[in-house]
Amino acid sequence: MNTRHQNLQRISLLFIWMVNAGASAEQVNNHAHHGMHLDNTGMVMNNNMDKLPVECSAISEDHAFTVYANVEYAKSFAGNSFGMSQHHYQVEPCSRITVTFVNQDEVRHQWMVHGLPNYIYPGGMFHLEAAGGKSQTGTFIVPGSDTTYLVHCDMAQHMEKGMKGQLQVGAGDGQLWAIPGVTGSINRDRYSGNKGVNRAALVAALFLLAVLVIYGARLFKKS
Amino acid sequence: MLKHFLIFLLALTGMLICIPSDWLPVNMRLQWADWFGADAYIEPPGSRATPIYSNQVICPEDLPGWRKAQVIEGVSIRATKACIPDNPFTIATAVMGSNRVSPDTLNKSGLTPDAIVKGRDLDGDGDPDEIHIRLEVIELNGGSPEMQEPTTQFSIAPGIKPGLWVFAPKTLGMATENFESNRARALLRLPAPVIRVEQGDTVKITLENTHYMPHTIHFHGVDHAFLDENGEGNDGVPVTSEQALMPGFARTYDLNPRHAGTMYYHCHVQPQVHIMMGLQGMFVVEENRPNNLVQTLNVGAGHVRVPSKSVSEKYHREYDLHYQDIDIDLSNLIQQNNDVRLITEQMHRQYNASQAISDFYTLNGQSFPYTFRESLIVASPNENIKLRVANGGSHGIALHTHGHKTTLTHNDGVPVPEGAQITRDVFWIATSQRADLDLNTNNDGLHSYGDGVWLLHDHEEKGITNNGIGPGGNIGAIVYESFMREDGWPLTFGNSYEQYFSAEYYQRQLPVWHSYSNGFFDEAGPDITHIARVVGYWFFLGLALIQFVYLVKRFGSKI
Repeated sequence: MNTRHQNLQRISLLFIWMVNAGASAEQVNNHAHHGMHLDNTGMVMNNNMDKLPVECSAISEDHAFTVYANVEYAKSFAGNSFGMSQHHYQVEPCSRITVTFVNQDEVRHQWMVHGLPNYIYPGGMFHLEAAGGKSQTGTFIVPGSDTTYLVHCDMAQHMEKGMKGQLQVGAGDGQLWAIPGVTGSINRDRYSGNKGVNRAALVAALFLLAVLVIYGARLFKKS
Repeated sequence: MLKHFLIFLLALTGMLICIPSDWLPVNMRLQWADWFGADAYIEPPGSRATPIYSNQVICPEDLPGWRKAQVIEGVSIRATKACIPDNPFTIATAVMGSNRVSPDTLNKSGLTPDAIVKGRDLDGDGDPDEIHIRLEVIELNGGSPEMQEPTTQFSIAPGIKPGLWVFAPKTLGMATENFESNRARALLRLPAPVIRVEQGDTVKITLENTHYMPHTIHFHGVDHAFLDENGEGNDGVPVTSEQALMPGFARTYDLNPRHAGTMYYHCHVQPQVHIMMGLQGMFVVEENRPNNLVQTLNVGAGHVRVPSKSVSEKYHREYDLHYQDIDIDLSNLIQQNNDVRLITEQMHRQYNASQAISDFYTLNGQSFPYTFRESLIVASPNENIKLRVANGGSHGIALHTHGHKTTLTHNDGVPVPEGAQITRDVFWIATSQRADLDLNTNNDGLHSYGDGVWLLHDHEEKGITNNGIGPGGNIGAIVYESFMREDGWPLTFGNSYEQYFSAEYYQRQLPVWHSYSNGFFDEAGPDITHIARVVGYWFFLGLALIQFVYLVKRFGSKI
């Protein structure tokens, strides 16, 4: 089964391969410092106050979001370890979005959007990285088409364990999987339950089976 | 009636013809051969066509020129022969400190500005003695609620991606190479980086727990007080010194190592699981010398491209060799579920470390053939080469050098008196022990037999396999410069490496000597004749039985 995310990855992988044939990906990643600000508090990459995507004649709306990263937010979603205060963002096409990302944990976190047009955002991303206890603010302008963008923290396992969201522009173009509190997972976790529950389930199943047998027997008797 | 009798006879005949001759008693067959002669020759099954297998590039080209000797930020970085060399900008930053290099070097290093902070020169000998290192905890090849393959991938050998946890330097940006890639960036890898400081340094190490489970660091053999200045636990042990550090939190350990030597560090939370998942690294304390800027992190271990002043006094080259092993039944657990409560239960309660069997064996985080890309010990004649060996595996290793007898100079960082030093070609290194070996390349028939490509491996033979398929595991080599090719690969005279660079070989899909045996040892195909006879036998037996029962019934009723 393929997710939209994976399809997107495949298509873009081909593109990146063609563009960067030869250069190592690590270097590409490190050299993409357009609109970049970096210091001890973290990083803002591809900040964009005014460059309009080609489909947009003007900025339609200005949005400001303040997003908190804190392990406490993981408590609302059992089985997660990392959290952020908001998982779904809704804006109109050609909106200008200013995000203030407040990191209340003691380790670094990221608020990244992927799949933006490369001609404005090298690597297709808008990227805020806040060091532990710090905050970062950055601005970007979304294109004019209805698209759903992935928002996440790209540190190993942070997206998987709670820090995933989606930015829906206009009507969007579908939803992403496994957004805490919004959409479900493809891969199901295997819960073993406990003896009491398992026994109760067995009793219930046997009872239902008996009901079926009695019902069936009566049905045949009548006919 | 007659019809059924005839069918019965026919079925019996068919059955007899079909019986594979090896089912019959040997004596009967010998008697039969006496009367009628030996069985006719039956053509054995033909060879199966060798499956098409994927080849990987054996030794990628060094496009950025990282193998060359170079000077960055005034740091002289030695040339290396490794196919996949370390990033020299990371090395320069590790030597100078991330707070003391240019923004361009820092950017190319991949580290954050506070990853390795070097402060004041406390003893006035020309090098900084205040060292503050930040480490994060990274999961490699972990699971996901939506992907069907592991995330932040790191292969230890072709197609082999066991779930791993590592301490990693504090890096800036994404965990993968880029958004389109699922591969971990080069700094996030097995093993955890080798930490190098100078004797007497005031060292602070901040563990930033970026992982979804609690962790600590225990500095094994590195001089440290049980409690720090604030009276807080400093030994990394939840049972005795401190609470485990929860996800999203940070803690700083204080070290002031008074003795030099090769030491070790590891997580001490549920160590039977967390150490084996990969949370362990080498810790080297170098002797104090003036103007001694040491390479504070050696990511992935291997060749030390900026050796310390004290090592350079006695040795021509220095290599860090970190051995580990992996139980796939443990490491796979992080790929099966995403709920951290389930992962926690399965790793710490369901999994039984006392019954663990290791499947993979690594040298500096790689198994053969990938070990040859990074961890060859390159030598020239008449050199002394310092090998710092740490065994972080669950088993001892019997480390054997082909073509050489090395001398054990230090045990667990403690010097062995000169008269008591042992020279031999197999050293037993128990779990968590460190051994410093002096590899002398003087061709005297004892220390060295001369130039060549000489293997260096664990002689516990399971250690040279990838889940039982050899060659694999922790095989490395001592390669003389005269046997190094231009492209970074050793000049060998044995078989081709192509098949070893395919995932299929280690998935047991390729005949082992396929590449050079001209078909003699290809995989034999199925014995179709035999299968047909077995199927025919059971069919005719069934047919005969049915007819027999029918006849008995009919015959019986007539009587």
